[in-house]
Amino acid sequence: MIRLEKDGFKNFIEELIAEYAVFAPVMKDGKHMFGNISSVEDIDSSRLNTEMSPKEIFFPHSEVLFEYDEDGIRVADGEKKPIAVWGMRGCDARSLRMLDKVFGGDGERPDNIKFEDPYWERRYGDSLIFSVACNEPLSTCFCNWFDSGPHDSAGADIFVVDIGDAFLMDAVSGKGEEFLKGLSGSGKASEKDKKKAAVIAEEAVSLLGKKTDLGELNDKLKGLFHKPIWDSVSAKCVNCGACSFTCSTCHCFDIQDESRKGRGKRVRIWDACMFPIFTKEASGHNPRSLSKERVRQRVMHKYSYFVDNHGEFLCTGCGRCISVCPVNLDIREVIREVLAS
Amino acid sequence: MNIQQELRDAARKLLAEGGVDQIIGWSSGSLPMSSTPLFAATKEEADDLIFDATCGSNLTVYFTKDRRQIARDGKKSGVVVKGCDARSIVLNLKENQIKRDDVVIIGVPCDGIIDRSKVEDKTGGREVLEFSDNGKNISVKGRGFDIDIPRTEVLSDSCISCVHPDAGMSDIFIGEPRGEQKTKDQYLSVEQFEELSAEERWERTKQEYSKCIRCYACRNVCPSCYCNECFVDQNDPQWIGKTLDLSDTIIFHVIRNLHVAGRCVECGSCERACPMDIRLLLLNRKVAKEVAERFGMETGVDPDAKPAMSDFREGEKQDFIMG
Repeated sequence: MIRLEKDGFKNFIEELIAEYAVFAPVMKDGKHMFGNISSVEDIDSSRLNTEMSPKEIFFPHSEVLFEYDEDGIRVADGEKKPIAVWGMRGCDARSLRMLDKVFGGDGERPDNIKFEDPYWERRYGDSLIFSVACNEPLSTCFCNWFDSGPHDSAGADIFVVDIGDAFLMDAVSGKGEEFLKGLSGSGKASEKDKKKAAVIAEEAVSLLGKKTDLGELNDKLKGLFHKPIWDSVSAKCVNCGACSFTCSTCHCFDIQDESRKGRGKRVRIWDACMFPIFTKEASGHNPRSLSKERVRQRVMHKYSYFVDNHGEFLCTGCGRCISVCPVNLDIREVIREVLAS
Repeated sequence: MNIQQELRDAARKLLAEGGVDQIIGWSSGSLPMSSTPLFAATKEEADDLIFDATCGSNLTVYFTKDRRQIARDGKKSGVVVKGCDARSIVLNLKENQIKRDDVVIIGVPCDGIIDRSKVEDKTGGREVLEFSDNGKNISVKGRGFDIDIPRTEVLSDSCISCVHPDAGMSDIFIGEPRGEQKTKDQYLSVEQFEELSAEERWERTKQEYSKCIRCYACRNVCPSCYCNECFVDQNDPQWIGKTLDLSDTIIFHVIRNLHVAGRCVECGSCERACPMDIRLLLLNRKVAKEVAERFGMETGVDPDAKPAMSDFREGEKQDFIMG
């Protein structure tokens, strides 16, 4: 574990920028989100969670897959530098690991559906993720429900704890270890530093709400598909896409061809199972025409289907869906209701 | 008796004796400074009803659109409405979306709704953990802060210029009516915008709408926006692109605006629902101002008037027709 003085942070970021396309939390038009930074001054760490999740760095809302005209098909080049993300939260770092199971070549999947998404891979594949531990979790945070916590290093390449006057950095992956080896201006963390970090971690954990045991959730859900619970759970939902679009793990997309007179492009665009057109078939029939069917799908995908396919919940407890929902449909309450049914 | 208790008593009475199947109102939300829609079918559930400055959602939305069947299926519903929400009820009655016999309108007097994003600006983004409201100031507390903010600084834009805080149409009115607010600058923000040069207006518009993530929260919370199939959800033919291309995004918002021309009640639900805090109301209020000037009409205020776009009167201003 190394110690980087805050005085040396500017230098650290500058060195990072020289090698990587660096993303960090920024304030853009009054919204706190991840942005490509060109200097340390761009970073804004005033809020705990960014309002949009960092999934958009690796899986953007609208991505041109290729363009075409009379001369042929062209795939846009990827970024020249590998991506480094400073200031990611543990929940978001874990969400990328989940998305990697879907888009990444190394995803744990049956052989017959092995697939590597080149657009994801060229960004996430050689990226360097710095997770900065949450010292003051929000009331919407529920990462502890998923056997994680505010000082969980999973999903990071380098795990960072802010201990006030310095950052402590610990390599989590081989990539992270390589990077820390070559880092200038840092020293080894002392025992005192480590103790301080442990106290901060303990305090952070104590600020979280009570954990709900999700051990039976998947089994419960399996028996509920046709039950009336979805009527009450979905009653207030207005079927907008605010939850899905701010979610760090929702990854459904639509493919559109935008063409005009001999040229065009094929674009991959975020989609949401809340939208009526999401499952509308060419015949005009919609197998999920009702709100409750769509709400059920969202809950099932996160807490049942993904568990069956990939061995974990498709939710990190980041709480963004809770803060943005226009009708305060709190996913924690939905889970509790399912478990109590 | 406080308004909350009076509301709960009225709801219990309606459920017990009024032949009402459910009361649609608000209860406390799961977060500080939030409320959530409540569908109370029993007397016990009715005891969770609240009304305060967090009750911003326009509950008329649960009467509209095929997928919002909550208040339909032959149910008789009581619904709690602020002044703006009551205007939505009037509009939806006029447009045959609600049957008068299916609804009992419970009016409440409104002193304005808190815009969470404005409070967040005041706290520098620090999370509000406790909230109270004494009618003049709100107090917000969190880790390391405890501040009082004058209400006027954190009210929704829609509420700052509100003229009709009381439900104009109601079967039961709870509390003391506030009376019509005589505000000279009802459309001040629109007028200030109109005074800008075309370039400045375009810059502001671009800045706002480039934040849009196309989640359609604005559309989906809007009780005036109830097409069975919205034009953005049509794909044969497909009218607009779905990316974040600014021209497509703006087309969505402008068409939505024009489609609710003379039908928007300026309740501000769209703006409060927007996860990106886009100042959506400006364009809505510009259109409302046009409707007021051309047709002398405010949506949903006069229960006997036809909606502006469904009516024609001789002598109407017609300077848009090329002569």
